[in-house]
Amino acid sequence: MTSLGTPIQGVTLYSFTRAFHARQYDLDGLIRKVAAEGFGPGLEVIGFSSLRGFPDRIDDTFVGQFRDLVAEVDLVPTSLAVNVDTGIRRDRLMNHDELVEYMRKQIEVAARLGFPIARVQISLTPDAMESLLPVAEKYGVTLALEVHADQHGAHERVLALRDRYEKLDSPLLGFTADWGATVTGFAPSLLEAYRRRGASEDLLRQVVELWDGFYAEGPPNNQKVHGERFGAFIGLAARNGRPDLGIDFGINGTGLFGPAPLDTWLEIMPWVRHVHGKFFGIDENGEEPSVPVRGLVRQLVENGYSGAISSEYEGWHWNNWQDPFEIIRGEQAVQRSAAANAGSAMITEASEARRILRSHLAQPVRG
Amino acid sequence: MIADRIIEQGTLTTQDGRTAVEVRIPWYRALPGSCIAGAALTVDGVAAAEDSLRWTMNNRTFSFEELVDETGEWWFPLDSAVLSGDLPVRDGQVEHEVRVDLKLYIPYIITDHGVLHIEEHDTKTMKVAQR
Repeated sequence: MTSLGTPIQGVTLYSFTRAFHARQYDLDGLIRKVAAEGFGPGLEVIGFSSLRGFPDRIDDTFVGQFRDLVAEVDLVPTSLAVNVDTGIRRDRLMNHDELVEYMRKQIEVAARLGFPIARVQISLTPDAMESLLPVAEKYGVTLALEVHADQHGAHERVLALRDRYEKLDSPLLGFTADWGATVTGFAPSLLEAYRRRGASEDLLRQVVELWDGFYAEGPPNNQKVHGERFGAFIGLAARNGRPDLGIDFGINGTGLFGPAPLDTWLEIMPWVRHVHGKFFGIDENGEEPSVPVRGLVRQLVENGYSGAISSEYEGWHWNNWQDPFEIIRGEQAVQRSAAANAGSAMITEASEARRILRSHLAQPVRG
Repeated sequence: MIADRIIEQGTLTTQDGRTAVEVRIPWYRALPGSCIAGAALTVDGVAAAEDSLRWTMNNRTFSFEELVDETGEWWFPLDSAVLSGDLPVRDGQVEHEVRVDLKLYIPYIITDHGVLHIEEHDTKTMKVAQR
């Protein structure tokens, strides 16, 4: 029998995008705020969001300051989110060698900053992941490919990656499970945002019904079905005289709220190295109304998961009327309660988190 | 995303027939020049001529044609870029309606129709800033 997992509490700075972008906090100030609020010990950062000059112009002075600050406030670097910018050129997509070098530079920065995981993205094929394995080995960085809506743990692309991981049998290749893949409802805070943009109650009811229908049908297992669903949201908006909202409905309804059942995570659970605790809001009862946080935490605990969960608040896209720090506080309370209900606990103490993360991952980062 | 912050309030300037305004990225992460695919600057309903538009970031100024191949210079989320173009604007204590349209490529999202692009715009009312 698998022993119960002890997930490590943490947060990604992405949750505070609106405050950072508004220059309310610089990077140092935001990291200090995270520590002071007790949102750690786990700390995740998106390289291209938070680090000026990433990845080419990250000098040793910055690296030293970053590591000193993280040590001073006693946080634990979990994942540096890196990007697979295949489409960076206008005339063609990156070729294979360019891609490997583009990722290598970012993974090297992850190691220098002390992040044991680099979050990579779904456009990396099984062949590309195999090519990046020597890079992962060189720097001692685990590559955790993000499984994110509109895909999910049982999607054909994800299963192909899993099968290659199994063949390569390296502990440095895994997944980041993003809870946005397994959502159970259209976020009420987004409906409120549409209401504030003048959408009628009748239109919002139809949006919810359309999404609920997709949830009942199950998740798209290929890109064709995904495209059809995107189009259905656009058509619905047009029929209701709000074509201006159609693309927004489509992007959010298919790209943020993935309707996969919870058990799709079991397909890849042994390879889950990191988790994005994606969520969209906390209601008046202190619960997440559209992401089944309690079920997700229970599933991780019962399957022995002892990596980090980065709380990833994404309601900031549309919710400019509530404080993101308060919302994160609420979601992490739900996570801790869920872990306790499952007979375990979230790790909130930094030294214990370091010890557990080291044993969860295969080898120490070499930065 | 963060389209309501594209135009920095109070940054409209004009001199000798050229007009400029500071703009913020409506996206959560840095993008290189090659992904800044186009912009329009309109004041009081009059658009600056497309070929006169210039983009200044990190103390370097580019035409949009030059940005196409620019993968070394990046627009960081905290930085203002400056969009300028040939556009006579009356100075003084007059409120102007400033509109900026932006087209950005999102280089990690490759769809069946190519690299995802987003089009965002913002309109704000302001006087010409006093220098």
